[in-house]
Amino acid sequence: MKMLIYGLVTGILFGFFLQKGRVLRYDKQLGALRLMDMTIVKFMLSTVLVSMIGIYVFKDLGFVELSVKPTNLGANIIGGLLFGAGWGLLGYCPGTSAGAIGEGRWDALWGVLGMLVGAAIYAECYPALKKSILTWGTFGKITLPQVLGVSHWIIIPAFIIGALYLFRWFEKSGL
Amino acid sequence: MRLKTDDGWSPYLAGALSGVVLIFSVLIAGKYFGASTSFVRTAGMIEQVFGAERVAQMTYFKSKVPKIEWQWMFVLGVLIGSLISAVTSGSFRWQPLPDMWQGRFGESLGKRGIVAFIGAAVAMFGARLAGG
Repeated sequence: MKMLIYGLVTGILFGFFLQKGRVLRYDKQLGALRLMDMTIVKFMLSTVLVSMIGIYVFKDLGFVELSVKPTNLGANIIGGLLFGAGWGLLGYCPGTSAGAIGEGRWDALWGVLGMLVGAAIYAECYPALKKSILTWGTFGKITLPQVLGVSHWIIIPAFIIGALYLFRWFEKSGL
Repeated sequence: MRLKTDDGWSPYLAGALSGVVLIFSVLIAGKYFGASTSFVRTAGMIEQVFGAERVAQMTYFKSKVPKIEWQWMFVLGVLIGSLISAVTSGSFRWQPLPDMWQGRFGESLGKRGIVAFIGAAVAMFGARLAGG
């Protein structure tokens, strides 16, 4: 019960900021995919920069654990391509479709229905996928610092500097 | 003319604040953000209405048990949080077609519905496959 309330409160806060950042809209998501408006990239990267520092500080202090998804090249690449094609058609991702309904953009309802069907189809295909695509190029739960054999406090500043240069370029180019 | 109330906040600020929310979520609940698993659980809950025995036997629903848990409430919360922000800032708009879509593909609701539905199904299949 406590976890359900944590989930709800966390979602409300995140949904509030997503709406304030104006990233829930089809026009913003397609704007990014058409390289016309980088609002959602600015939002996502800012979230990543802040949480990356916080999570690793608390991880080093022993308060939190990382949640690393396994690297699985066949599934990551094919799944990523399918996700991209579908996202370009729909203009919302799973989380933002809920948020888009919240601000009245109800074409996202078609998205929610389609995603439920897509999830059901995946569940049907899972036994076959588990024997095929999901076995192609599996590397387990790896991270960039681990693969490169360096401290995460080398990767994190490098990532931040790269992101800040990207932000500066977005602002200069009016993206 | 752009509506003054519809400008919102800087995406850098709103994104950074979301990062702070994420840090607290991991600290307090041990939970990272995600949404797509909840669509699997919901699909399973709907399928249970028509055949609970079949759902119970499916491999995928054994690992993604069809029930309401942290992430499901998180996705519901995103809808509510967005609603609160939109209504209190006057940017809530009951809109069937996005502006960019309408400018390119016209006013047909059916066309938008079909493309959105198919796109969504493909996107969700891809997201589950990729592990996201």
